[in-house]
Amino acid sequence: MRSDRRKTIFLVEDNRGDIRLIQEAFKSTAIDCDIVVARDGVEAMEYLQQDQAIRPDLILLDLNLPRKDGREVLAEIKADMVLKHIPVVVLTTSRNEEDITKSYDLHVNCYIAKSRNLNQLFKIIRGIEEFWLETATLPIPF
Amino acid sequence: MTNPNLEAQHINLTSLKQPAIHSLTGVQPHGVLLILEEATLTILQASTNTSALLQRSPASLLGQTLDEIFDSFQVDRFRAGLAEENLDFINPSRVWIRRKGDDYAVFDAVFHRNGDGFLILELEPAFTQQNIPFLSFYHLAKASITQLEATSNLQDFCKIIVQEVRNVTDFDRVMLYKFDADGHGEVVAEEKVDEMESYLGLHFPESDIPVPARKMFLSNWIRIIPDASAEPASLYPVHNPVTQQPTDLTLSILRSPYHCHTEYLHHMGVSASLTISLMKDDKLWGLIACHHRSPKYVSYELRKACEFLGRVIFAEISTREETADYHYRMHLARVQSALIESMSEAESFVDGLMQSEPNLLDLANAKGAAICFGGRWTTIGQTPSEEELNYLVQWLAKTVDEEVFYTSSLPLVYADAERFKHVASGLLAIPISKRSYVLWFRPEVIQTVNWGGDPNHAYELQESGNRQWLCPRKSFELWKETVSLNSLPWKPVEVQATLELRKAIVNIVLRQAEELALLAQDLERSNAELKKFAYVASHDLQEPLNQVANYVQLLEMRYHDQLDQDATEFIDFAVEGVSLMQTLIDDVLIYSKVDLKGIEWQLTNSETALNHALGNLRGRIAETEAQVTYDPMPQIVADGTQLMQLFQNLIANAIKFRSSTPPEIHVGVERQEDTWLFSVQDNGIGIDPKFSDRIFVIFQRLHTRDEYPGSGMGLAICKKIVECHRGTIWVESELGQGATFYFTIPVGGRDYSHAIGQKKNYLPRRG
Repeated sequence: MRSDRRKTIFLVEDNRGDIRLIQEAFKSTAIDCDIVVARDGVEAMEYLQQDQAIRPDLILLDLNLPRKDGREVLAEIKADMVLKHIPVVVLTTSRNEEDITKSYDLHVNCYIAKSRNLNQLFKIIRGIEEFWLETATLPIPF
Repeated sequence: MTNPNLEAQHINLTSLKQPAIHSLTGVQPHGVLLILEEATLTILQASTNTSALLQRSPASLLGQTLDEIFDSFQVDRFRAGLAEENLDFINPSRVWIRRKGDDYAVFDAVFHRNGDGFLILELEPAFTQQNIPFLSFYHLAKASITQLEATSNLQDFCKIIVQEVRNVTDFDRVMLYKFDADGHGEVVAEEKVDEMESYLGLHFPESDIPVPARKMFLSNWIRIIPDASAEPASLYPVHNPVTQQPTDLTLSILRSPYHCHTEYLHHMGVSASLTISLMKDDKLWGLIACHHRSPKYVSYELRKACEFLGRVIFAEISTREETADYHYRMHLARVQSALIESMSEAESFVDGLMQSEPNLLDLANAKGAAICFGGRWTTIGQTPSEEELNYLVQWLAKTVDEEVFYTSSLPLVYADAERFKHVASGLLAIPISKRSYVLWFRPEVIQTVNWGGDPNHAYELQESGNRQWLCPRKSFELWKETVSLNSLPWKPVEVQATLELRKAIVNIVLRQAEELALLAQDLERSNAELKKFAYVASHDLQEPLNQVANYVQLLEMRYHDQLDQDATEFIDFAVEGVSLMQTLIDDVLIYSKVDLKGIEWQLTNSETALNHALGNLRGRIAETEAQVTYDPMPQIVADGTQLMQLFQNLIANAIKFRSSTPPEIHVGVERQEDTWLFSVQDNGIGIDPKFSDRIFVIFQRLHTRDEYPGSGMGLAICKKIVECHRGTIWVESELGQGATFYFTIPVGGRDYSHAIGQKKNYLPRRG
């Protein structure tokens, strides 16, 4: 069953601290999944566009990234016939209305502002996992 | 009134009927007047008093030549003198006439030719003892002139003249009148015996010196009436036998004054008068007038001496006046450059004009001045009210196209000005633009007239048979009628000075507008940068903070069992500090977002905004069991998001500073003339009124964070929001009594924004 397949989460995040924190949060959940990390937008797109790459089940995208901005990455993913089916969740510090609107304009699947409270952050990660990896029905990656 | 020596005639105000001056043929009885045919020196007419003074009847003189009266030696001298171009060579001649035996009568003889070409000989009795020796007169004049030279101001100068004239003539009162451009006059110097009334400083009307009288003063520089009550002698025959008309005696010394004039003198208690004309540029500049309570004869010589004194001294006056004019011009130039300098140094040119010393008033010798610039009035001295000024400027904008407009009788051209004539009968205006003006004001001149003595006293319009004449006090009343609604005139040099100021203002305004445009550009740029900064700050500053908070918490979570109590507390403090920093950053971001440019003006339902705010505060309201009530809320023109923020901050504040009882909060609203007045009332701990201004200042807190957490920015944000909406915010409160925050939002939304060039539409948006 495809559903038994180990899930892969593609995390695009430049902040080491946040990467670790998110990894910790996923570790504390019941589901075991792989987390692939890209540290900037260019690296992210290179990874996603490799032929042999494993298509991730979910992309967690920070908005403010070096080299290539998160918004550009989002735009490129959603413009790509293959990649656009992968749910993208923007997970960012910004609560700026412009950023929120802009992200949805670019067809983000979900926009989440990072919580300032550790427990809240853990809750959010659990929520993402539960919803996007367990509840939602996603198109089958080839 | 105060101009007794002058023939008063006021044709349009009274029914005074006076014969034309050239048809007056009465002769003052102290002298003899003979009208001669010049070629033969034959007597055509003689005054009827020849019997008394010459012991010969007028009839017996007719047809005779002068040889019949004077001895041939004297007549030869006449002939020689008359042959000369200038009659001054024989005027006056000391002559004698044998009356009977050894009885000689001595006269001063003066010839002149009248307008009809007849020769007129006037004989005044000479009194040797009254003659002043030439040297004495010389010393007198020299002493006066020396004294005059030491005097610097015109006022003192005139004072010395009247003193000297009185010294020489011994009249009871000597006055110096000066005429202004309109012909009105003022007594500028006076010297008198104590018993006589003082007229010093009094003004008198132009109407008191009618045109014929002025003409006479022009041609006849010195006039004497030795006895105002003497019955005049007539001429015999009454009409000139050649022309069959009255002989023109305009230039005669002995011609009787108008009846009105003598009555005038009579009513003033004056029996004798002497008037010396002061001429400048062929115009009557002023007069020296001498009064005596009893009849007083002044010999021809002495009169000539006075006239000479008058001329010499007056030449000096003229110079002084020109010097004074020059000094005034220089003074104005100094004022002008001081103003221009202070304008360019001051932040606004208006401040520069008003606050400096000298100020705007000094430039035009005005009592009040006002500047309308950018829709605002700044005034100094005595001016009409702002409301009146607004109307006045509207009128000016419609009426005036020139670079300068001035009048000394504003009510005559702008009827509404009668309401404020006491401050602005005179107006001098320079338009800077269609909407910006500099105005100077002068009060009605009557306000500035000094009137000594009791104005209700005695003199009035007199009537005798079908004749009427004016008397002093009444005449003053007439004058008041004539000059009411008038100010002192604006001098050309003052007008010129204001015109030059206008140039300077226009330059400065242009320059300032340019600088302002540049400044606005810079401001816009730095505003944009600031916004960018604020965004970056909110994001990039939050990130490391979050990290600190998260890892500290992670530390606590994971190693909880291994930490002692101190370690746990330290972690708590670290978390607390970070959380405060985060709140501050959020608030600074909100604060920076509130600005005029950011406002979305639209028709907003304030109830929606309020409900939105209440929704955001749901948790805190529930937690504190707060009761929030509100009036029906109006539709207003405002930025909905900001209005929501405003309500939210104020209500959050009311909840935060609650007393021991659950919060009861009421949001009220009422419509005032041009504004909506909102209020947020609570039953909380209240605020000491001495802090009621401070609480709106950014980062000002009245409590420790332990008591009430927060950044201290909430109210600063409120204030900024309200001010961007052109409203005001304030609090009314007492400690322990709860507090009510009030704020206003203009009903029209933002009239101002048009003025500052914003073009956003605040009508409801479609779609």
